[in-house]
Amino acid sequence: MKQIGATLLLTFRELWAMKITQGVFVVTTVAWLLLSFALNLDVIEGSIAALRIFGFESVPTEVMRDAVTGELLRDAETGNVLREALSLDKFVLGINQFVFGASYLFGTLLGLFATMPLVSGFVEQGRIDLMLSKPVSRAKLLTGHIAGVWAIVAMLVTYLVVAIWLVISFKTRLWLPHYLLSIAIIVIMFGVVYSIVLTIGIWMRSTGVALVTAYGCIFFSGILAGKDQIVPQLTDFTAAIFIGLYHILPNYIEVISIVAQLGSNESVNSWYPLVSSVLFGALVYGIGFFIFLRKDY
Amino acid sequence: MGSEKQTDPCFAITTDGLRKTYSRPFGRRKVTALDGLSIQIQKGEIYGLLGPNGAGKTTLLKLLLGIVSPTAGSAELFGKSVKLASSRLRVGFLPEDHRFPPFLTAMQTLIVYGRLATVDKKTIQEKAPKLLEQVGLNQWSDARLKEFSKGMMQRLGIAQALMNDPSLLFLDEPTDGVDPIGRRQIRDLLVSLKGTGMTIFLNSHLLSEVEHVCTRVGILHRGKLVRTGSVEDLTRVSGKYEIQIADDQKPLVTESFPDMQFSDRLDEAWVRLEAADATELNQQIDRLRNSGVQILSIVPQVRSLEASFMEIIGDIDGDEGGIPRFDKQAEVGESTDTESGS
Repeated sequence: MKQIGATLLLTFRELWAMKITQGVFVVTTVAWLLLSFALNLDVIEGSIAALRIFGFESVPTEVMRDAVTGELLRDAETGNVLREALSLDKFVLGINQFVFGASYLFGTLLGLFATMPLVSGFVEQGRIDLMLSKPVSRAKLLTGHIAGVWAIVAMLVTYLVVAIWLVISFKTRLWLPHYLLSIAIIVIMFGVVYSIVLTIGIWMRSTGVALVTAYGCIFFSGILAGKDQIVPQLTDFTAAIFIGLYHILPNYIEVISIVAQLGSNESVNSWYPLVSSVLFGALVYGIGFFIFLRKDY
Repeated sequence: MGSEKQTDPCFAITTDGLRKTYSRPFGRRKVTALDGLSIQIQKGEIYGLLGPNGAGKTTLLKLLLGIVSPTAGSAELFGKSVKLASSRLRVGFLPEDHRFPPFLTAMQTLIVYGRLATVDKKTIQEKAPKLLEQVGLNQWSDARLKEFSKGMMQRLGIAQALMNDPSLLFLDEPTDGVDPIGRRQIRDLLVSLKGTGMTIFLNSHLLSEVEHVCTRVGILHRGKLVRTGSVEDLTRVSGKYEIQIADDQKPLVTESFPDMQFSDRLDEAWVRLEAADATELNQQIDRLRNSGVQILSIVPQVRSLEASFMEIIGDIDGDEGGIPRFDKQAEVGESTDTESGS
């Protein structure tokens, strides 16, 4: 534990020295302060009477539908669609979907950006050989490094999500604690993407290649997310490859829908994108450990 | 990871047929850095490893510390396989061209690397200031390493290597890039450690440094240990002696023994003698004395370690003015199958 603690400490200090932790902390603080001062709601009988953002006032409404058929209700004389004041519940769910979806992207991508240089520093010649010369197993060294990175990202994401959740909850008086589950999902998905950075970094000692591969996977997951629309357009062979990649590679973009569903208090349709991503991450971490345990430095 | 088998703990370091071949991608030729090396270094020895660039010195050190894995053979520290992390419990290491994280202070560096070396917090708090003082960095304990000169970094490197009270200290070019004053300080530190019973394994290009500090020396060339022995063994010139005579008797010697040669020494007259054994040496001394020459002292002729080193390497490489050849022979690929390190 002493040794894992030392690598953890080293990782913390490095991020602190790079001022990335402080940067993310400041950006996050600005985000929730803006949200807390800029957003003001007037709630009357469970509906939003007025919404003010930076002093600009509007009255959010929604279309009215028939409770049985679900058809739009129209004014009998003018034929215009009827609207009513937006219910507080719907407003909160909508804003949460947006905020927590954004937090997911912000948290994982910024976390990735913040921690990217750590791997190349970790395996830098002159530094790694000194660490390997200590009476600590390679597995412990790498575990300490990963734990340090995860812990920092978890702290930053927790601060981001909890602060925003508190602001929204105070403003709306609607406390939906299950949103906080998104903290775990953001950290897990960061961990999945970091597995790529770590393994490529250990294998090739190149931050550039690790960066391109990690962001390439994220970009590609956007294409894979359109599976239902794309696969019917493909030949059997290419469709099989596409579906194979869908199951193998991380489904980073699709996980946004899980976060959004959690944010809107809906039951999650499918946990598969998250599960397959976690399996991918576990496999890639395994490969990373395998390489690190055998590599000559 | 390896067996817990303990062999002979009398030796601090033991290697048996240690071989390291670096493979290169795309079927390019392999590089044999170490070729069947077998050495034994006793506890308390100060062992200096010499060799030209690319001889395999750093590779040997990395193999002993588990930083690279051997292609064949085995190595043990205090009877424990180097494959085990626990073999490094009593080991300190200063790598060549080390890079401490520049954002740490000197004190933080000792804390981090001390903890990695399983030193407990209390001991670190007690020991770190003392070590910083010992290496002359006590005024700099809270300064960031980015402000440190190369010499200061080297001294800090030695301090971190001593954090766990090692029984075995590996130093890879400890005075590399250090100015003469810093070099002298490091050398004095090594000399002071010499009396503590610590085993020191010193890799160095600086032969004078090795000559001053080491009790035994090995010369590594193209992955093989080509010579080993004490500094005296390596520097002694067999069958050659120098005799000091009174300065004013130089003309007498020149006149009586025109074949005799004088050594180049300032203010002193030294005559060179060659003798196959003690009898012949005594006969020559008698001849001098019978001619009225006053003998002040007799010493076996020695040369510098540098001269010995150049000769040994030169002999192997062929006589090219004593300058080691840095040819492609290290890239021997599959042709270096002989395991004749020692």
